[in-house]
Amino acid sequence: MASSSSTLSRPAALRRPKAFRGPTAFRSVGRSILLTLPIALWSLLMFTPAFQRAGRDEHIGAGVVIVFMTALFFLMMRTGETYRWRRIFFVALGFLFPVGFIAALVAQRGTMSIPISRMVSGDTPFCFMVTPSIILPAAFAKTIVFPGSILPTASNPHSIAIMIGIWFAMTLVLGKAWCSYACFFGGIEEGFAALAKRRRLHRFVTRYSHILRLIPWAILVFVVLVSAAIFEPVYCMWLCPFKAVTEFPAVRNVETAIQMGIFVALFVGLVVVLPYLTKKRTQCGFFCPFGAFQSIFNKINLFEIRFDREKCVDCTLCQTSCPTVALSKESIAEGKTLLNCMKCGACVDACKKDAAVWHLKGTPVAVKPERARLLFLYGAWALATMFGGSILANSVATMMHWLPLK
Amino acid sequence: MAVFSLSASVGEALVLGLATGPVCLATCGPVVVPWMMVQPRGVRGHSRQLGLFLAARLAGYMVFATAVWLVGSSIQRAWVGQAGAGRAGIGQSWLMGGIEVLLAAALVVYAVGWPHRRCAAANPAYAQASARHEARDRPAYAQASARLGTTDKLLRIGEARSLRSGALALGFLTGINLCPPFLVAGVRAAELEHLSAALVFFVCFFVGTAVWFLPFLSMGFVQRTPAVVTVARMVAVLLACWYGFSGVYLLIERTFYG
Repeated sequence: MASSSSTLSRPAALRRPKAFRGPTAFRSVGRSILLTLPIALWSLLMFTPAFQRAGRDEHIGAGVVIVFMTALFFLMMRTGETYRWRRIFFVALGFLFPVGFIAALVAQRGTMSIPISRMVSGDTPFCFMVTPSIILPAAFAKTIVFPGSILPTASNPHSIAIMIGIWFAMTLVLGKAWCSYACFFGGIEEGFAALAKRRRLHRFVTRYSHILRLIPWAILVFVVLVSAAIFEPVYCMWLCPFKAVTEFPAVRNVETAIQMGIFVALFVGLVVVLPYLTKKRTQCGFFCPFGAFQSIFNKINLFEIRFDREKCVDCTLCQTSCPTVALSKESIAEGKTLLNCMKCGACVDACKKDAAVWHLKGTPVAVKPERARLLFLYGAWALATMFGGSILANSVATMMHWLPLK
Repeated sequence: MAVFSLSASVGEALVLGLATGPVCLATCGPVVVPWMMVQPRGVRGHSRQLGLFLAARLAGYMVFATAVWLVGSSIQRAWVGQAGAGRAGIGQSWLMGGIEVLLAAALVVYAVGWPHRRCAAANPAYAQASARHEARDRPAYAQASARLGTTDKLLRIGEARSLRSGALALGFLTGINLCPPFLVAGVRAAELEHLSAALVFFVCFFVGTAVWFLPFLSMGFVQRTPAVVTVARMVAVLLACWYGFSGVYLLIERTFYG
């Protein structure tokens, strides 16, 4: 049942023969529905306002998202698997976010590029990726180095205060899991990674993973220091691969042309080609400075993945399946993940011996891991429904608007 | 009257340095942070490195003060106009582009230490001396380095031998780098009557800004693992790319567009 419901190809490492499935793998339909009820009610609560005030397209968008999110959560409860169902949501979010966003930009400005006049008037929507860059200038010079407005305005509802507030609230609950339940960029590369049948650069990634996973930290330090030195959000201006599919400075001279070239090259390389070749989230794991910044919050987050050393047979299936190389032999030997674990659940689903388990800090490891998983998933899925779900609903409504169905 | 004038300019320079120190901190931070992070843990060693860096920076200030005083009002006229136009205006100079390219090269040479690695490989005596030095001064790093395999060259630490010359080169280059507070001080120094007054002005300005560098000593407390040193070296490479690109871009812009 589980495999027939999936729309994406599943790597061999993640396929668990039925013989190895633990007693908690499949729940009864009734119990699964019971466990899904809170999320179903939460989804209805979140999208009821859309039914009250918006048009037909918005009603359809909200309805689709309620069914979609509730169904995926039900499947998580029914099969005991997290990664594959989360991935369907996440890939949908990644591919549909640009649809709604670009449609809104074109409707407002007539173009995806940001005119200087919009920057000067503070109308640039704030992206959470800028957050680390603005800290030092804000601390030393009381200046926010981003051409947006602090409080929401009629022309720019995605203000700095609103976006940082949402990000911080979600980060307290999710920690680094933001990167696998809320980030609206990561789904694009996860989608391309899912398309490939086999891992082509597996040996390279395994051999150099200890260096590759440090690159985001280096980029984070670089971006923070240079942003403070030149008073510009360096990541947005020069390094963001997703500028290629969202918005970018209008190409007016050689400098902006070089910027655009970098954006496109990074997008094609890190978000399309390398994920396809490696079956990893290469941008997230080997480049994204925000991901490194987000890793710090794993320290204060209550949930984590641990390894029951008594059950572990060191088969390294978990290490192979991890999309962001957040596992090393040393960390597995210690029964832990590395700091950059984003709690996607791939290692737990891949483990044939049920040695990889969800864990609530402060409790014994591998004692009632399903309870820890449930507690985490309720929080994560509720926030994913609220944040990602609203983005999905907006994008579905936009697509409905384009379709000649009226 | 002369005494009053001197004390007034001393006070002005100090206040100017203290007030604009955060900008100096932000401007020099990208160079200081990776450089300090590749050093072994310990406040004493960091104090020595920071002292050398600041001394070289002061030397850069003195060179700059002498130059602006000698050129005097002509440079003053040129720079006041450009400084008013912001960073883009300041950047349209050969000097700025050249310094940034040199800074990029210095970061690669000293923070990453590639030439020294080649040197050590070519000369066994040098390699033995390096090993003795590591064993004496940084046993933990020597052990960490020994544990790492041949594929982990990037993680090896303590291979940037010329620590002293590195701090001096980076300090001097940041000392003559044209940041906005530096230009303000330069314009003021060019107005002074004597060269000695201009030098005193810059010394006081330096003292004011140097206070802001003291927090960098706290980096001596940061745990030094191979990962931290690797990240610092990667940052140095990224910064070298940044300064190199910026410098070459400025030079090309100057060459083709005037």
